[in-house]
Amino acid sequence: MKAAAALATGGSDYCETSSTRICLAREGADEKNRQYSLWCRACAAGAPSAIWCQLMTSAESPAARRALGSITDLLDRHIGWFTLGPAILLLLLLTVYPIINVVLMAGSSIHFEAGQEVWKFALWSNLRELEHDRIFRVALRNTAIYAVASVLIEMALGLGLAILVSSMRRMKGFMRTLLIVPILLPPVAIGSMWKLMYSFDFGVMNQVVTGLGFQPVNWLGSTSLALISVIIVDVWHWTPFVFLILFAAVEGLPTEVIEAARIDGARTYDIVFKIIIPLLKPAIIVAALFRTILAFKVFDEIFLLTSGGPGNSTEVVSLYLYQVFFEQNQLGYGALLSLAIITATIVFILIGYRVKSATEAS
Amino acid sequence: MGSTRISSRLPSAALFLLTLSAPAMADSFLNVGKQQPITVLINASPWYNGFQAVARLYEKQTGNKVNLEVTPFPGMLEKVRNAVRSGGTSPLDLVNINSSNVVEFYAGGFLEPLTDIDPTFKLPKQVLGFVDAGCWDAKKQFRTCASGKLMGYAPNGNVELFYYRKDVFDKMGLKVPKTFDEVIANCKKLQNPPKSYGYIVRGEKGDSISYDMYAFLLAYGAKDVADAANGDFTVTINSPQAKQALDKFLAVEKACGPANAGSLGQGDLIQLIQTGKAMQAQAVVAAFPSFDQPQKSAVVGQVDAAPLPAAKAGGKPGVAIGSWVSAIPKNASEAGKKGAIAFSKWFLTYKAQYAYAKAGGIPVRSDVFESDLKSKPQFRWMQAYLDEMPYGRQMLGYTEGPAVTQILGLRFNQALIGELSAAAALNKAAKDMYALFKKDGRKTGMLPPLAE
Repeated sequence: MKAAAALATGGSDYCETSSTRICLAREGADEKNRQYSLWCRACAAGAPSAIWCQLMTSAESPAARRALGSITDLLDRHIGWFTLGPAILLLLLLTVYPIINVVLMAGSSIHFEAGQEVWKFALWSNLRELEHDRIFRVALRNTAIYAVASVLIEMALGLGLAILVSSMRRMKGFMRTLLIVPILLPPVAIGSMWKLMYSFDFGVMNQVVTGLGFQPVNWLGSTSLALISVIIVDVWHWTPFVFLILFAAVEGLPTEVIEAARIDGARTYDIVFKIIIPLLKPAIIVAALFRTILAFKVFDEIFLLTSGGPGNSTEVVSLYLYQVFFEQNQLGYGALLSLAIITATIVFILIGYRVKSATEAS
Repeated sequence: MGSTRISSRLPSAALFLLTLSAPAMADSFLNVGKQQPITVLINASPWYNGFQAVARLYEKQTGNKVNLEVTPFPGMLEKVRNAVRSGGTSPLDLVNINSSNVVEFYAGGFLEPLTDIDPTFKLPKQVLGFVDAGCWDAKKQFRTCASGKLMGYAPNGNVELFYYRKDVFDKMGLKVPKTFDEVIANCKKLQNPPKSYGYIVRGEKGDSISYDMYAFLLAYGAKDVADAANGDFTVTINSPQAKQALDKFLAVEKACGPANAGSLGQGDLIQLIQTGKAMQAQAVVAAFPSFDQPQKSAVVGQVDAAPLPAAKAGGKPGVAIGSWVSAIPKNASEAGKKGAIAFSKWFLTYKAQYAYAKAGGIPVRSDVFESDLKSKPQFRWMQAYLDEMPYGRQMLGYTEGPAVTQILGLRFNQALIGELSAAAALNKAAKDMYALFKKDGRKTGMLPPLAE
């Protein structure tokens, strides 16, 4: 590298180093030759053969050396662009282009004729359809209820478990491993398992309920219970994720602060709510943000358990988008729905952020 | 675990039995010559074992390789779309498409008419057409063999049958019902929830309730649109006949169904029959073999089949055909197209269809239904199937079909769970369908709304 730098700046004293002399010896160059300097620099820069050295010799005129210098300067100044360029191009191709394509689709109606796509401008009719789409509004409302309820419960349970397991003196590793099992299971397995557990006639849940002397519960077939039932599954599935993040954060808390508080006579309640939770705030925000985004995108659990029913009681935006785009094959309107969902997600997160900021300020 | 192992051995066992008799039959199987290997997209369904066994028999007899791309039902549609839309040569040479989705591919120009590949290709006259499921008239934009081209054929003609517990009927002296009123009369004696249910029918939102409701809609003479074949898309789903049909459906569910009727899907329904809880039911014919599998069913040999009930004595049953269509993508390779045609010709022969039925498939040739198989206990559903065939109807043979299925699937379900009255559900469905057709520029209209 040093040799290359010397070459770029046109330095001539580099040949005095021992490594260059070795190089010259290998190439059979004569130190007294007038081409000494260029031969020396080319070989020092790792030139593969004498041919390269010959080429360098031809560039010995001041003009050529200036040109060479300016090229290398240019390379040096923009090395970042040259190295990052391909990655940026790939990123543009894989993210920006699809987004532009979705925007274009959202303003069109698309169908197929003779094996070819036929696009027609239909922005206004798509927007009108969205304006009058009651199912989408129901799906949006259900998604918001689902996201808020599941994230709040998961945060509370995850935090409680993290503090509890962290305070354990024995079996801490075992408990940590046991608690993260649900997030290791594939969503399809979780959906199938809970579908069986919720089965009206054969499920374990109703066996327990009837065993206790009550009537069997219509977990997935009742409009008032179905959404709660799928929230329970989500809580079971994702609480371990919150637990894992918060457990790592609790384990990283400075023990001196907690010990000092204890010596000062602080009760457990005060330690948890006045020391641990405030210290965990950054981790709590990260976990809540991740979970909110994931909860807003929920699809698999609801698709497998209720398919959005009964009625529209568990219809959520991702499922509705799937139905419109894939099952009904309405590509243009489906694209508009996906943009509406992205917008709704951003608004939802911004509202959450504002609420958080307002709470902090007060 | 045990049952999985046994069921995975079924195709091999079936093939073994078939090949035992193969040398004697080999001469009479169609000689299709040497063909390039083909890839067939097939769904993992109750009749898959039969198809797999027959595909292996084809390989054994002809030396031609058939790769089966086995896919669960929900993934089938996207696999076909990806194969035909993405450009380049299709990785699939023969695709199976649900008849409710096939119009999308006909209208989009993605499938090659079979006679364009092989001008000599003709369906044998014994092959059931399932009301023109495999034909497409591009000018009319409708499925009809009268003026359209042959685009495919049904590898499986699924219809719903009426199932009942023969042992219980015999014991209680009940008669096989011919009308829905008789179903209700029977179920008054049979309904004892949660131990037993008088009549089971799917009520889950979406395809399930939408398809099962056709047994009622067709029986009562209701239609979704006025005359789609001739371009009249006036919505008629809120007709008085449709109201009668939905009212009857709700009455049957109320008197005979389980408390979770609104979320009852195909899997739940089969489970209720297999465990002996369902005394009467309507379900697809492809489910029948599972009632007789000892490792899965507690009622082996006790379930019998009959044609679906009618609206009134002497009336016609409402038989909606839910067939598949085997077709060849336009962008398949030339060798693939030829190979697919060769396989299709072979598959539709009597011998192949006979072997297919024996291995658990639902054959599509009338002469196989009339064969000695009909008198064998495991094929006791065949007579009911044949009796229903004259009444079979293909539903939603237009491009908006899948969207209409979603609309009806939601509104019927809302009526079932009590969110909407029957009249309100039908009025809303009509309004949604009207908006859909209007957006697509169809000639459409609506009936006056029903009194809610």
